Amino acid sequence: MPSRDTETWQRAPAVPDTHYVSGLVYSDPEIFEEERSKIFGKVWALACHESELPKKFDFRTIDYAGTPIIVTRGGDGRVRSFVNVCSHRGAKLVNEVSGNTRRFICFYHQWAYDSEGACVGIPQPDAYNETGLRAEDCGLREVRTDSKYGLIFINLSDEAPTLNEFIGDALEPLSPMLTGTELEVFHYQRSEINANWKAWMETNLDTYHGLMHVLLRKTQVNSSREITLFLGGHAATGGSGQKYGDYGNWAAREESLALPGIGANEMKNGDLFPNFTILCRGTVIRIDTVTPISPHRLLVECRGLGVKGESESDRHQRIEHHNQYWGFAGRNWPEDAVAAERCEATFGSGAARHQIIAREENLRGNDDGMLRGFYAEWSRMMGRPANNPFNRS
Amino acid sequence: MFSDQAIREVIYRACLALDAEEFETFMALCSPDFNYRLTVFSPEIRKDMTWLEQDYAGMKALLEMVPQHMTRPGSLKRHVSVYLIDRDGETATVTSSFIVIATDGNGKSSVFVTGNYYDDIDCSGDQPLLRSRRAHLETRDLGTGTHMPI
Ligand code: FES
Ligand SMILES: [Fe+2]
Repeated sequence: MPSRDTETWQRAPAVPDTHYVSGLVYSDPEIFEEERSKIFGKVWALACHESELPKKFDFRTIDYAGTPIIVTRGGDGRVRSFVNVCSHRGAKLVNEVSGNTRRFICFYHQWAYDSEGACVGIPQPDAYNETGLRAEDCGLREVRTDSKYGLIFINLSDEAPTLNEFIGDALEPLSPMLTGTELEVFHYQRSEINANWKAWMETNLDTYHGLMHVLLRKTQVNSSREITLFLGGHAATGGSGQKYGDYGNWAAREESLALPGIGANEMKNGDLFPNFTILCRGTVIRIDTVTPISPHRLLVECRGLGVKGESESDRHQRIEHHNQYWGFAGRNWPEDAVAAERCEATFGSGAARHQIIAREENLRGNDDGMLRGFYAEWSRMMGRPANNPFNRS
Repeated sequence: MFSDQAIREVIYRACLALDAEEFETFMALCSPDFNYRLTVFSPEIRKDMTWLEQDYAGMKALLEMVPQHMTRPGSLKRHVSVYLIDRDGETATVTSSFIVIATDGNGKSSVFVTGNYYDDIDCSGDQPLLRSRRAHLETRDLGTGTHMPI
């Protein structure tokens, strides 16, 4: 097999345009800025789970693709979100990541906002009489908020389609697991990683990379996996059996602990474009979301979910199952993180020109269909083909 | 009863063994009823979390699999200061602080995680042994993480 010279190395791979991706999508600063406005500015993205805001006036703050956000449950029980910026001189209004308050009072000059975003207090207001500035014109910038299956989503665009239109049927395969019992988050962890955000998402969409994980090589039956693609770049997988007893001193999972609609040793996943993945490993659910920090840095947030009100021993078991893969010293998580950084090491510098996503297995096994679906939607929203984003010949 | 120095040493030797990934040496410092928990508090979900929990057999199996995994290149160094040693019969309860420094494949070092160890040392035999360890992390952002316990 011959190696390639400069010209043949730079040439596009000998596959259809939809079956490879240009390295520029990971590194170009112009593309990164466009992604923030054309993709992250328009899609519905997970903010948190309902169980993170159980009571009236609970709030969470998050960082979403460069925009700080407050999510809060109002006195009327409705969840609303706001850009976390004080209307006065622009300071970040809330610094805590969670809490409970009827009034958000800015630390700087004590302007106050209620849980519906209205500005309800300006100290020493008479000095604004001259200019006519009124508190009622100084509310927070509200961000569209809606929920499905206990998942609270936000959308920075006032014009985007509704959450239901955005998701379509993509979460249907997981709905029994998400709705059959009341769930709550027991695990939350965030990590910043030196890689483009898409490199993380690819670890969720690229089933072929199971070969990297010794755990999956030992325990996962890939041949029976079925992949379903949905409009909007969303995807789901199911049908892959798990032989947990084949790793270390682990045991098979007991059916009594299985979530509704799934066997304890079965696995079903769902991916929403551009940055959301649910993995249901029979007895436990993990959700991860990734947001961009810079072309070369991402933030991934991981949540583990169990059944609210379950016995201490069931919760203990579920946490153990969660941690086997995704806890500290979890067997899979650090490998995906290293994979993302290893791709950054070449795409970030421009040393890698393309990546190939050309596996075809009729949407079974290790077909690259989810990656192609992701990049088809990426190309549509960006108005640029992912294989050649600057239309260079 | 063992001296404070002997008790400090079991903690230091355990760190040296984990740093060097000498798993048998580490397990030889643990009692058969060893229990390990790594805990963290999440202000996001306002909950105490357990991110890793193992008994003796589980820890041994976890460590034995580490060489088969693709993990961050380089090494981890556990820098420990023993703050308190309290004694109750044949058990010593020890509070220590740790800083774990990661050194990457190019020799660049950075802080990976920091926190406290809360250890129970079994002093009933002919050498002090780690009977239980709770590693409580202050650090919640793990970067690329690790396959090794702290
Ligand atoms: S910046 Fe918030 S009150 Fe002044
Ligand atoms: Fe993976």
